[in-house]
Amino acid sequence: MGGYAGQLLYIDLTSGSVEKKPLDMQLARDFIGGLGFGTRIYLDMIKDNPEVAALAPENPFVIMTGPVTGLKMDGAARWTVGTRSPQTGFWGDANVGGFFGAHLKFAGYDGIVLTGKAQAPSYIYIDDDTVEIRDADAYWGMDTYATDERMKTDLKGQSKRSGQVLAIGPAGENLIPFASIINNKRHAAGRTGMGAVWGSKNLKAIYVSGSGKVVPAQPDELKALKEELKEVYEESIFIEALKASGTPAHIDVGIISGDVPIKNWLISDWEGMDDIGPGAIDEKINVGHKTCYGCTVACKKEAQVKEGPYKMEKGPSPEYETVVSFGSLCLNNNIESVAKGNEICNRFGMDTITCGATIAFAIECFENGLITEADTDGVKLNWGNAEAIVAMTEKIGRRDGFGAVLAEGSARAAAKIGKNAADFLTTVKGLEAPMHDPRSAHGYALAYGVSPRGACHEASLNFNVEGGAMFIPEIEALSMELEEHSSDKRAELNVACQDYGMFFSSCAVFCNLGSAPLNATQAVAMVNYATGFDYTIDEVVEIGKRVWYLKRGLSNLFGARAGDDRLPKRLMTMMEEGPTEGSMPDMDRMLSEFYALRGFDENGVPKKEVLEQLKLDDLAKLLHGG
Amino acid sequence: MATFESAEKFEEVLVGFFKLMGETPAIADKLLASKLIIRFNYSDPDLVVVVDCSGDKIDVRPHDKETKATVEMTMSADIAHRFWFGKVNLTIALTRKEMVAKGPIPKVLKLLPAIKPSYALYPEYLEANGYGEYNILKKK
Repeated sequence: MGGYAGQLLYIDLTSGSVEKKPLDMQLARDFIGGLGFGTRIYLDMIKDNPEVAALAPENPFVIMTGPVTGLKMDGAARWTVGTRSPQTGFWGDANVGGFFGAHLKFAGYDGIVLTGKAQAPSYIYIDDDTVEIRDADAYWGMDTYATDERMKTDLKGQSKRSGQVLAIGPAGENLIPFASIINNKRHAAGRTGMGAVWGSKNLKAIYVSGSGKVVPAQPDELKALKEELKEVYEESIFIEALKASGTPAHIDVGIISGDVPIKNWLISDWEGMDDIGPGAIDEKINVGHKTCYGCTVACKKEAQVKEGPYKMEKGPSPEYETVVSFGSLCLNNNIESVAKGNEICNRFGMDTITCGATIAFAIECFENGLITEADTDGVKLNWGNAEAIVAMTEKIGRRDGFGAVLAEGSARAAAKIGKNAADFLTTVKGLEAPMHDPRSAHGYALAYGVSPRGACHEASLNFNVEGGAMFIPEIEALSMELEEHSSDKRAELNVACQDYGMFFSSCAVFCNLGSAPLNATQAVAMVNYATGFDYTIDEVVEIGKRVWYLKRGLSNLFGARAGDDRLPKRLMTMMEEGPTEGSMPDMDRMLSEFYALRGFDENGVPKKEVLEQLKLDDLAKLLHGG
Repeated sequence: MATFESAEKFEEVLVGFFKLMGETPAIADKLLASKLIIRFNYSDPDLVVVVDCSGDKIDVRPHDKETKATVEMTMSADIAHRFWFGKVNLTIALTRKEMVAKGPIPKVLKLLPAIKPSYALYPEYLEANGYGEYNILKKK
């Protein structure tokens, strides 16, 4: 059997116990990997305590790789994390790039299951068979950049090879509900507050060094597939755009269709857009390229601001989501300040989408007189005030003054501010919507609504398929013609995007960007050549479906109901001009069709018989009794 | 059924529009800065047009199959028509090969902000020049 490292690590931070368990190959066959393993193991661990609080020591935290993670191929560096989210209260997860997942497998582990809470700040040291919980007092309080550098320096010579650091910053330590976990300064487990769960466990970092490698079951076949894919990648303009400008390349395309939100989602065009577009980014701040393990796409860019108020050392350039959330969403056309906001978020360990969206929300509150300078510690939160945006980002990271209010995220801040602040929210299930407007593509609205982790464009492949980056001709619902600005067929599309998407980016853990050119035949072949299994497309879709119901069921267990599948008023207000003029997703229709296709009851909970058909009897029992 | 009944009509409409773009400073200046020579290969009806941005002004040359272009764009006339209304999802069109682009793609993509004003210009141009029957926004 290939592809897998063959072991899982179970670490209890309360007792300090470290247990290595062989990977159950039936689990591997039935769930493939990644959040397939993660959700199944997580449910098994909490089924006697389904009320477990997100920040309680008993809340397990899973880190899982996929069978392709660590193969030296494009788009095969990713891995996953999952747990109950302190931000939404529901199931939370994140899909991460970088080097940590590959190195974890090189050390001999497909994943780590963390439980408990260390008595004092700790980090986990992994060097192949050596796994230790160590004192992190020297690192506690450090930002993620400093932690990464200092830990690598301190441990130089201790591990057989140089290692990778996965760390939280002060935001995670201070339990900011949208705290992230960062590898190599740039690769973030960004959404749903995974870093706060680490903070609650007194876990600062994991250092991993491995001397092994990932061995595929059928190396010759895999090599031949790699060769075949060379031409596919060379012909892909999507890949070429990513190589050239990274994810911000989407700005120039997205603005045409009205996909890019501006001024807290109030308008869809703005003269300042070119100042923060890919051309300006390349010209003003980008100085180089970076990549994830083994990937030649190299969509990560390196930025530097040499002088001025937003001076920053050479480091990660903002991704599309960050450029828009700190840029157009706040009517901020100063790209250097966007880069600075990105750096602050990365250093503190905060999700840039939630942070930028929360600041845009606060600006609208300020502009409408719901809050004043007396509330904001003198910060003038006006549209486009780059200085104020950067200052407030720092205050959020430090939980300083009004920053402490916004550090809870926009939904909780709205409750605290009161009046009509909730009118300015863009959250679903407490998670701020990503920077893609559902009025430009109605399926996004349904995807944001029914996503188990809250408003998210990567929770399934809907954004990739309806937006056009992926085309899966083998699956009818993923290749059908869709009418523009229509809600027709979107329920069917979403179901297919969830099922195939769970296989693709949650279980096998392909990259939604670097692996976008793969069709289903190629993706399944790659998993088969890696593992030695003989999956068919139908089988991986069935597994994906099971994993999607597991995620949904976990959120249902944590209290999610039909009312949580609705979009906020702001996203459901019609644009009066621009590319999406007059376009409004028909949520009632899409939800009704989706619930019928998924076999949900009126509360938004999968019916017992549906779960039992998917061999999720235990989940059925937890949700329905009996 | 194809939008344009003949290659002649398509040429008349499209070449006229390209020339208008070439005379519109907000668009032309940025196109000229790119120095690109773009050949558009259209089908149904068939037409080849070169838009040459390498000189002092935009030169639009229908039927030019000889000039060595830096970029080759291939698509149907219908896709091209809808594109100039801003009604084509470029990512879908390129992924599904409804549009095929060859050449320095990053340079081409960077032209998108430059041609953005043309989406508003195209329906106006159609109406002003007696091509109102092709204005899909009006039909809507």
